Amino acid sequence: MTLRVRALQLASILAALGAWEGAARAGWVDPLFVPAPTAVAIAFARIGGAALAALADTLGKTAVAYVLSVVLGVAAGLVVGSVRLLREVLNPFVIALYGIPKILVLPWIVLVLGFGAAPAIFYGTIHGLFPILVLVMGAVRDVDRTLVTVARSYGATTWQLYWKVLLPAIVPSVLAGMRLGLVFCLLGVLVVEMFAGVRGMGYVMSAFANGFQAPELFAATALVSAASIAIVLALDHLNEKLSHWRG
Amino acid sequence: MTASPRIIAIENVTKRYLTSSGPVEALHEVSLAVGEGEFCTLIGPSGCGKSTLLGMLGGLVPLDSGRVLVDGQPVTGPDPRRVATVFQDAGLFPWRTTLENVEFGLELQGVPAERRRGVATELLGPLGLRGFAGKYPRELSGGMKQRVAIGRALAIDTKILLMDEPFGALDEQTRLLMGEWLLDIWRRTKKTVIFVTHSLQEALLLSTRIAVMTARPGRIKSVLEVGMDYPRLMESGELVALRAKLWSEIREESLRAMGGRL
Amino acid sequence: MTVLVRLALLAAVLAVWEVAGRAANPLMAVPPSAVLPALRELLLLRSYPDLPASLLLTLREIALAYGLAVAAGLACGFALGMNRLVGRAYGPMLAALYAVPAVVWYPSLMLFFGLDAASKIAFGFLLGFFPVTLAVLAGIRQVNPQLVTVARAYGAGPVRVFASVMVPAMLFTLVGGLRTGLALSVIGVIVGEILGSKRGMGALINHAYGLLRTADYVALVLMTLVLIVGSDALASLVERRARKWSE
Repeated sequence: MTLRVRALQLASILAALGAWEGAARAGWVDPLFVPAPTAVAIAFARIGGAALAALADTLGKTAVAYVLSVVLGVAAGLVVGSVRLLREVLNPFVIALYGIPKILVLPWIVLVLGFGAAPAIFYGTIHGLFPILVLVMGAVRDVDRTLVTVARSYGATTWQLYWKVLLPAIVPSVLAGMRLGLVFCLLGVLVVEMFAGVRGMGYVMSAFANGFQAPELFAATALVSAASIAIVLALDHLNEKLSHWRG
Repeated sequence: MTASPRIIAIENVTKRYLTSSGPVEALHEVSLAVGEGEFCTLIGPSGCGKSTLLGMLGGLVPLDSGRVLVDGQPVTGPDPRRVATVFQDAGLFPWRTTLENVEFGLELQGVPAERRRGVATELLGPLGLRGFAGKYPRELSGGMKQRVAIGRALAIDTKILLMDEPFGALDEQTRLLMGEWLLDIWRRTKKTVIFVTHSLQEALLLSTRIAVMTARPGRIKSVLEVGMDYPRLMESGELVALRAKLWSEIREESLRAMGGRL
Repeated sequence: MTVLVRLALLAAVLAVWEVAGRAANPLMAVPPSAVLPALRELLLLRSYPDLPASLLLTLREIALAYGLAVAAGLACGFALGMNRLVGRAYGPMLAALYAVPAVVWYPSLMLFFGLDAASKIAFGFLLGFFPVTLAVLAGIRQVNPQLVTVARAYGAGPVRVFASVMVPAMLFTLVGGLRTGLALSVIGVIVGEILGSKRGMGALINHAYGLLRTADYVALVLMTLVLIVGSDALASLVERRARKWSE
């Protein structure tokens, strides 16, 4: 079964690429809008160095935003999730802030923070923060009460309760949040770069689109997608390693 | 009464809980004294406040009035240097191995890693878990999990062991074996055990004394001395007679707890 | 009690906003007291006379994007879900695409469809399509195979099995996916409009922001929020109905 699945996946990708190439060569699609895969490959070789530099720029900002999201999200989620009054008061606000599209405040953020890395990092952080916060809050609320009682009966201090019981108990949710948050952070950074960037992959892609450079645009899109998928797969791998006790 | 000095004194303890349908009195003027080295069982119908009483001894439940003294000192909160508790749900930390779970209490007390590892490893033998040091809770059977939980309590080496229906979730055969095993541990360590159970048989096989509690609000209805030697046989005439006596005491309360129907 | 604390918190946030808004540079921030007049001007069609047309255009884009996403998502989900091999081959590929921040596709759509409504519809479609498809796949996995076997044994044909066994059993999951799809279609259209358009709510927001008419900008954002929250409220109503029906 697995072999057939892999074969089918590979065959489908090759067939799609082949059909695409054929259609472009035969002139069924306008190469101005849909360039052939070979043209994309050639464009990739041409823009390679510059594209990688732009990708590094984007990923750098994403990394900062991501670290901020994870640290703030886990810390705030632990505190809000474990204090009942805070949790009950703040929960609807957090859910609302998670749900509403942050794109609406993007113009204002750019207005206040200007162009450059700061708005990208800020916007990326508010994108990544909320999924992590929501998951961690829920996870802390749902920690098995017996474990908390056991820790109390063994004389755990507040610090020990957080460090030795609550934090390890929510590791699976933190990891799930980290996976979601990463994609959200990258999305936030790219949106800012597209809206008001002067550097980075989002800016580069917008510039290619506005300049009708389809092969370069497709190459850049493929590069960002591949990077994103690779990072998420790496996180999944880490997740499996860290959660061996779950079985 | 036993000649041994009293290690636990519960004096006129009352406890009310606030529920959505008004206050409920869980315990009413309960008094009980337990001597050092005793195996004292609390038994009674569901909701009679056995677990509440145990929670008070462990410092987990505050009391409304009365006094609870452990070792002559009033209980003000959890005190893992005097009292260790085992819960019905083993409450093992799923991210810790057997050994790490047994070490938990010592770790909280700041015992150096090497020493607590030594204590925990030595305990694995009597716990019957020697080959399972590195296993996670999900890899253990129900009986094994409960032995790890008991190991965790034994590791901090308190004089008093509180056990809240520790075998309640196990099947009957495992339960009998765990009882035999616990008796062995108790006789070797000479700890004072306060044991909560629903099972008459378990109470009769294990206890030196059995305190029968009434339906809510819980009071101590009567205290049975079981002076027989261990190991006991359920079929012995003495125990059969005691069982009948115990059941007649409890039956009435269980009926009341069910609302007098049947 | 919690409701009171919540209201107090909300009032405090508004008060801080008011004080900070008055102290700040009026181009950067406006207090709520300045937003109300702007909102009135907006609703009386004095500041932006083409508000109804813009609102209508945005709504039309959303309706088209979502309609297409539902149709394609259902078709695609059932096509993938009915065949085990096909599902196991393409399911993970779909999931991998889900790990790419969707906004990377937007420049290509803009290049292909231009700056007008079509690119917004395409982006809204793309965002709404994934959750619908994935909900169908998850729903099909939930159907108890024994129920299907029983229905077959009693002589039900494939159509009958589908209508009386599959659909009721998976309705719960399906409706949830449809709701998420709507929310994402709405966001897709608005993100598209803000990243570049000549008409629609996003264009108005960009216009107000570009001219530093910050009070108008906030008023327009509030209008758009009403649109977003309203559409989700409608969806949640339908969701609740469906749940009642399926129980």
